[in-house]
Amino acid sequence: MLNHILSAFRTYMHGDGAVLLPEMQLFLFAIGTLAMDSWAANTSSEKLGTNSVFQQNYWNPAIALAGTAFSALTLWMLRARIMQSGDLAGFHLTLVVDSYFVFFSALFLAATALVILLSVNCSTISPVRQGRYFALLLFACMSMMLMVSAVDLVVIFLAMQAAAISAYFLAARPGVSNRTPSAAVRFLFSSALGSGLVVYGFSLLYGLSGDTNISQVARALGGRHNVAKVIALSRQSGQQGLQMFQLLQSRLPEAVHWHAFTPEALPIAAFMLVSVGMILKFAVPPFQTEFNHANGETDFGIPGPVILYLSGAFGFAAVALLLRLLFTIFADSQNIWWYIVAGMAIAGISYGVLATLRQTNLERIIVYLSIAQMSYVLLGVVAANEGAATAMTYYLLTYLFTVTGVFGILIAVRDKNTSAGALNDLSGLRQRSPVTALLLVVFVLSLTGVPPTAGFFGRYFIFHSLLETGHRYIAWFVVVSSLPLAYSYLRIAVYAWRGNKSETESAAVAFGVFEAIVLGICVFVSLAAGLYSEPFTRMARYAFGQ
Amino acid sequence: MPPVTHYLFLSFVLFFIGLTGVLSRRNLIVQLFSMEIILNAASVNFMAFARLYGDASGQVFSILVVAMLALELLVALVIIAAVCSRWKCATPDDAKDLSSQLDY
Repeated sequence: MLNHILSAFRTYMHGDGAVLLPEMQLFLFAIGTLAMDSWAANTSSEKLGTNSVFQQNYWNPAIALAGTAFSALTLWMLRARIMQSGDLAGFHLTLVVDSYFVFFSALFLAATALVILLSVNCSTISPVRQGRYFALLLFACMSMMLMVSAVDLVVIFLAMQAAAISAYFLAARPGVSNRTPSAAVRFLFSSALGSGLVVYGFSLLYGLSGDTNISQVARALGGRHNVAKVIALSRQSGQQGLQMFQLLQSRLPEAVHWHAFTPEALPIAAFMLVSVGMILKFAVPPFQTEFNHANGETDFGIPGPVILYLSGAFGFAAVALLLRLLFTIFADSQNIWWYIVAGMAIAGISYGVLATLRQTNLERIIVYLSIAQMSYVLLGVVAANEGAATAMTYYLLTYLFTVTGVFGILIAVRDKNTSAGALNDLSGLRQRSPVTALLLVVFVLSLTGVPPTAGFFGRYFIFHSLLETGHRYIAWFVVVSSLPLAYSYLRIAVYAWRGNKSETESAAVAFGVFEAIVLGICVFVSLAAGLYSEPFTRMARYAFGQ
Repeated sequence: MPPVTHYLFLSFVLFFIGLTGVLSRRNLIVQLFSMEIILNAASVNFMAFARLYGDASGQVFSILVVAMLALELLVALVIIAAVCSRWKCATPDDAKDLSSQLDY
């Protein structure tokens, strides 16, 4: 009996199980964190002893970190396996393990690990039942990995919802401060609207193709695209036009009177619904609300690491999923939808940059500007050549580490003086802690895109691929929009650099060992990817299997 | 059986009602219901297409949409309740009703 079970298990782990293994490990570790947390909460403190390790808050993050480490190790082994024997697919072709999945999963795991490290000593995260918080981070990471792994509309939808529900709870988890979690409610509502739009778009895609697998959907939409091309050709005068007209009359008589755009109308509608829904669901708009200002609060009422996770990792998940859908389902009609994507990206950049100009809250500035940063990534879709693919993944890879670095500093500065996190809190940082000020300047320069840092190459690759594909005006827009972007970012550095210690009466900024590790990793990537970008571009190229 | 276009028209009307509700109403609870109407519109679409193609995956999708709808509603109500208790608006003593507090 036991042998049967073991052999069945072994067969499963060699087949479908292998496809899901990194996610399963994260899930098990999340359950472990929850169990440990519940055990520690229910056991009386006399039993544990006052100085027991379980009394300290290091236990939960340690398990969560071990989960990400194990998952990353499995991912590494899967990478070796797909290099040898090609992409893996399982669960009736609903999940795949390809280089795209490996790259983005590694990115999500890195983001989760960095956020866990930043959360350990963060004073704005409630210490009550902290295990739940870390378990939620792991659940969110698992769902985002599933989002990138899924190639079936049903599974994509389920993974998206799982990620969104983890995000709702992360955002709404009561913090230490007694602020209203109104940003959490706003996030919930825009996200729920986003899921409605995405599902309606998915239902149209299913209706157009009769299948939920995205490669089948792509085939059906490709057929419609060909019909549109034939209609356009049949309108031309001359021999070829006449031939096409006769072909159309024999094969698809009702299409003779259609406009050339008619077969493309529904796919484009589905495209609009899916892309707008995805952006509403995961990208930053939830935080745009001016709602808090009405109550006289300027910050989000959400702990710093959670804001970083929601605006960073969740934005990446949305972009990664959108890229997969764009390059499979909608690949054929790129000549139509690039206008829409370019419009959305330009609007996003303008909005993010302009809205920041008058902001004085540090977290708000970074979150608004991350709308602009994600929009730069979307501009890569407009170019859609090999260089653009590398540019987008390189941009995301380096942006993750630089934005984490900035947030690490903001969290540390904010913890010390427990204020609302205004720009003024930074003043005199150079005298309080020269190293912190220097690190902040490095990160800010990288986000701005100044040459010796990682951010420069990301922006430059996007610019270059846009020029290569003949989108000259958009390329110049990238350059011109960098100026107000630079103003917004450099304002942070200027505040950190000027001012006197005595004016602010703030204590020196001292980092714990965990923040130091995070900042060390982040500053290494921001500088190394700028000074010697070859290994990082190779990683970025790996995502699209090049 | 009526042609599939009738169902599509129904679902489009539902979608439009939902979208109008989300964009025009300022009460959180009404907004929530409007979003659920959008999800229902998608569900109608899935059922219609599943019937059209004789394919079960649309029906499965529809069931999952309904399940997710219930889950999302639950989570949203829990979070609204938490926010309300923070704002001290959902207590029986408080004369102000829920909708006026949630109006913004």
